[in-house]
Amino acid sequence: MRFIVCYKWTLDEEDIRVDRETRALALDHVRQRISPYDRNAIECGVRLAEEQGGEAVALSVGGPEVADSLKDALSRGPAHAVWVGCPELSGADAAAVAKTLAAAVRHIGEYDLLICGEGSSDYYNQQTGPRLAALLGIPAVTSVSGLTLSGRVLRAERKLEEGLEIVETDLPALVTVLPDIGEARIPNLKQILAAGKKPVVRLTPAELGLGPEALEPRARRESLLGTVADRKRIVLRGEGAVAELLTKLRAEGRC
Amino acid sequence: MYDMTLSQEEQLMLQSVREYSENVIAPAAKEADATGEFPWDVVKKGIELGLHALPIPEAYGGAGISSVLMSILAEEMSKACAGIATTLGATGLSCYPVLIAGNEEQKKLYFDTIMAGALGAFCLTEPGAGSDSGSVAATAERDGGDYVLNGSKTFITNGGVAGIYTVFATVDRSRGLKGLSAFMVERGRAGLSVGKEENKMGIRASNTTDVVFTNVRVPASHLLGREGDGFKIAMTTLDRSRHSVGAQAVGICQAALEASIRYANERKQFGKPIGANQAIQFMLADMATQTEAARWLVRRAAWLQDQGLPYSMESAMAKTFAGDTAMQVTTDAVQIFGGYGYSRDYPIEKLMRDAKIMQIFEGTNQIQRVVIAGRLLKA
Repeated sequence: MRFIVCYKWTLDEEDIRVDRETRALALDHVRQRISPYDRNAIECGVRLAEEQGGEAVALSVGGPEVADSLKDALSRGPAHAVWVGCPELSGADAAAVAKTLAAAVRHIGEYDLLICGEGSSDYYNQQTGPRLAALLGIPAVTSVSGLTLSGRVLRAERKLEEGLEIVETDLPALVTVLPDIGEARIPNLKQILAAGKKPVVRLTPAELGLGPEALEPRARRESLLGTVADRKRIVLRGEGAVAELLTKLRAEGRC
Repeated sequence: MYDMTLSQEEQLMLQSVREYSENVIAPAAKEADATGEFPWDVVKKGIELGLHALPIPEAYGGAGISSVLMSILAEEMSKACAGIATTLGATGLSCYPVLIAGNEEQKKLYFDTIMAGALGAFCLTEPGAGSDSGSVAATAERDGGDYVLNGSKTFITNGGVAGIYTVFATVDRSRGLKGLSAFMVERGRAGLSVGKEENKMGIRASNTTDVVFTNVRVPASHLLGREGDGFKIAMTTLDRSRHSVGAQAVGICQAALEASIRYANERKQFGKPIGANQAIQFMLADMATQTEAARWLVRRAAWLQDQGLPYSMESAMAKTFAGDTAMQVTTDAVQIFGGYGYSRDYPIEKLMRDAKIMQIFEGTNQIQRVVIAGRLLKA
């Protein structure tokens, strides 16, 4: 069986600083990493390949910076990696990313299950997985916290806000997984060394038949600002404090 | 001149070790320190990652990493818990005699055992042979195709948990240093027993015991190098490992420094954070400067070793300076934390207890000064 795992190379938000005055994000000196949920997705694909036989393939699209992610991804167990890259894909929106992923999956050919993280750690739009499934015409199961395969049938547990749902579907299919799917391994030193020797296929959108119009964003970002938690620094004391607090909260429409 | 830039693989290795240190070692450190119980789960995870086998070359199944990277990784683990870092590091230490003097079959035997998941222990010290390692009283007597080992080793890191040992014993006491010889001994050999376990002041997560040899028979093929090579093998081993002890000391410094900075910002007295006082600021500035100086002495010794240049004196300097610095920096950290620094409910006093051993083991800092002065005066 072939399990294709899609991952995103994102900014590590722990390194992002917010200017308190302008709320602008300081993005210089910010390191990148594989989006945390996608690490769980890779682990899921690798474990399935071990259990079911076959291989896990790591797939990512993005700008030239994605080159830095390949050894990291491969040290987590996939047999090889496919990277579709061009500068226009840096920061591309979910529509462009899903189109490119769909073309890459068709290029890879045979597959049984596509695995994505539930959402990326940067924007968490939760769009890429369902869009990709729609483009490929296969079922999508989101919010997956556990799954089993019996032959060509996928049985998935979906963790929803108010309970668990069990669904079944035939392969090929796509799942977007939550961290509950399984803790991502810490790659050991030998796995890291071996990663450098695994094959990587590098493609461009043009090679997959995608013109510049396919990469046009469908959503335009007007601005990107950080949030600053600013306290009002009002201290209420004495007997009337509760009543005064209620008055203030009502005045702000908060109760 | 000193290019220590890490390659992409090396950065990933650091990333893995950081994740292991922060998510696996650190949460277990307090309990292991309090109980003195050996944290097998944490150590096993370190073994799975290959962190007990850092000096083993790729050809023998290891990762074959540079001394500079080894130093960086040791610092990272020690920052989370010097005791657990010592357990993993001592296995590496036990590999050096084999790396230095072993033939192909010996390397295969020893490193296969380690790569299969065993811890190792380096058995040199005896009750009567500490700094004066030439006065080892354990004996190895040739008997046909075997050697028969007798004697008692003390303060052996991993003594009770190792699967294989490198052991120093004399083939002829009348030959003094020239009688000292090195052997590999598997745990299962008849007559090998684990003695008293030390109840230590610091690095309490590590296992330190006596190891007793009573007519322990090993084949002559377990002799490393030739009879009488033992002292040279032991000294070369300690040259290699000294700066790693320095790296552990720097890890302790870094932990103390980061905790002190956080506390200086959080703790308020007289209506302002204590970090607003110049008295605290100057302590922090000195702690950071000393830590950085220790780190670069340690890295430079490792770098010299990687370049194949002489590094024995620099390794001794690195160990001495970093060990003394760890003691100073952790003492200052306890001072900054005040009463909370002295309390076992907070993690600071552990750092001070852990730091003390860095001035003692693998050659006391007094012996290191003898090594340094010896080099200076020989020139």
